[in-house]
Amino acid sequence: MMKTGINNPILKTLFYALLIIWGISVLYPLLWTLLDALKDNGQFFLHSPWALPNLPLIWENFSYVWDKYNFGAYFVNSLIVTAGSTVLGLILAATTAYVLARYKFRGSGGLYLLYISSMMIPFVLALIPLFFLMNSMQLINTKIGLIMVYASSILAFGIFVLVGFFKSLPKELEEAAITDGASHYGTFFRVMLPLSQPGLITVAIVNILNIWNEYIVGTVLVNDPKQYTIPVEIGVMQAEMQYRTEWGPLFAGLFISIVPVLIIYIFFQRRIASGITAGAIK
Amino acid sequence: MNSRTEKRQRNLFIASFILPTLLFFGVFTIYPVVQGLYYSFFDWSGMSNKKTFIGFDNFKDMFHDPIVWRAIGNDYFLVAGKVIGIMAIATFFAVALTRFGFKMTGFFRSIFFIPNVISVVVIGVLWNFIYNPQIGFLNAFLSLFTKEQVTITWLGFTDHTIWMLLPPAVWAGIGFYMILLIAAIQSIPASYYEAACIEGAGQWRQFRSVTVPLVWEQIKVSVLNIMMTTLNGSFVIVWIMTEGGPDNSTQVMGSYLYQMAFRQFHFGYGASIGFIILILSLATTILLQRLMRHEAVEMS
Repeated sequence: MMKTGINNPILKTLFYALLIIWGISVLYPLLWTLLDALKDNGQFFLHSPWALPNLPLIWENFSYVWDKYNFGAYFVNSLIVTAGSTVLGLILAATTAYVLARYKFRGSGGLYLLYISSMMIPFVLALIPLFFLMNSMQLINTKIGLIMVYASSILAFGIFVLVGFFKSLPKELEEAAITDGASHYGTFFRVMLPLSQPGLITVAIVNILNIWNEYIVGTVLVNDPKQYTIPVEIGVMQAEMQYRTEWGPLFAGLFISIVPVLIIYIFFQRRIASGITAGAIK
Repeated sequence: MNSRTEKRQRNLFIASFILPTLLFFGVFTIYPVVQGLYYSFFDWSGMSNKKTFIGFDNFKDMFHDPIVWRAIGNDYFLVAGKVIGIMAIATFFAVALTRFGFKMTGFFRSIFFIPNVISVVVIGVLWNFIYNPQIGFLNAFLSLFTKEQVTITWLGFTDHTIWMLLPPAVWAGIGFYMILLIAAIQSIPASYYEAACIEGAGQWRQFRSVTVPLVWEQIKVSVLNIMMTTLNGSFVIVWIMTEGGPDNSTQVMGSYLYQMAFRQFHFGYGASIGFIILILSLATTILLQRLMRHEAVEMS
């Protein structure tokens, strides 16, 4: 039997300790966000931020941000924008990816390269023109505007992953469909699209996380408080904390924003890890 | 069906699947990027339609703007700090979770990735709270060892505050690159390690002679990716935590662009900062690719 692993007991303990410390450094802030969301203001000034919240727990902090800070409305805004742009982006990416993966035509290589190389362009470059473009289209402060921009921003990644996915599907299936008399559209919608579900789900999940968390585009394209998404509101809220101190509600707000992504992560962690890293290997 | 109509149908199909996406991408991505480059040659307050063409004057002004130089310095400080910090820790964890025969590796792997699914805004706010001078975690912790309350304003130094932004950036980045490296290490055939073992190579030797050369490609990708995401996107955490302050000392190019354009309404100048970010990012990519070209080993 080959000897593998670490045998030196001191090193082994040390390395385990490092893993555990890092694990705590990752998990503790999450726990701490929840605990601090249950404190009243006075408890923040006791100089022991690690202390458990006093009883009774201030669950009202959650209803307070939900109503008074309008987190309820922002949550809905974020949901609509995230869902809308993910669906739109996925349709646009999947159609192009399928054609690029399966049809040869003049310019197909160049088109693929255009999408892929756009991932190298700093997005911040487009920020200023985007603001004026949306302004002239009257799409500033609208969910439609955010949906369009976000959908466009996920195209390159979606096309990259889905071209790879379509290429990995066996060609025989399409050939069979075509001999059965299916049209190009029929082959795509009835055969290829259902088969590519795993790829589509991976791309969708990664995009959902990115858009739910997106801050800077939201800040630039939305300044009407009615249209804020959750990250935009958190940015505003923390800036306001300099004038009024409502730490409990702030942490309740942070927690509300983290919960959905954590749930998605718990259910889809393998896909998320493989999907996100796929985008890095260009 | 004759082949002519068939061909037409095929072309129609291709067009209907390509053009809407391309149109959309053109309007909301390509057009703004090209516009961004174009605006950088104008003096423009954004308030009116009056743009004055000034050629390279924005770039000349940038050359004499000390904040630009500071911002570029900060950008590369963050690039260097993140590359070293993230690569060292992520590589260590990747090796520890694949080659050391440890238990519960799946658990650690899932946990370590969590910061990568959390919004940068949330990470920035959390770390702001850690650094908060009155009620923050760090000062409260240090106060355990002192007689008096520690009240250091961690984000208020006129020098070196940029150092404070490194821990959140490294902390948030580890999981992603660890997963990338774990996948690479797991694809190395076990026989390579067995052969190394037979020749008496210990863990350190195996790491240097087997692991590093065979995952060099992924190490390269990681370094390039850290560099690009830092130059292109690190300004969000800077903006949330310090807004580039105090006194512009933590400004990076992205945050300076945002401030110039959307706070001070120098849109032309902001656009030219964007132009420089693009050039720096491409130039550094080429440079790093040159530097790291050797050493790659093809797996046969």
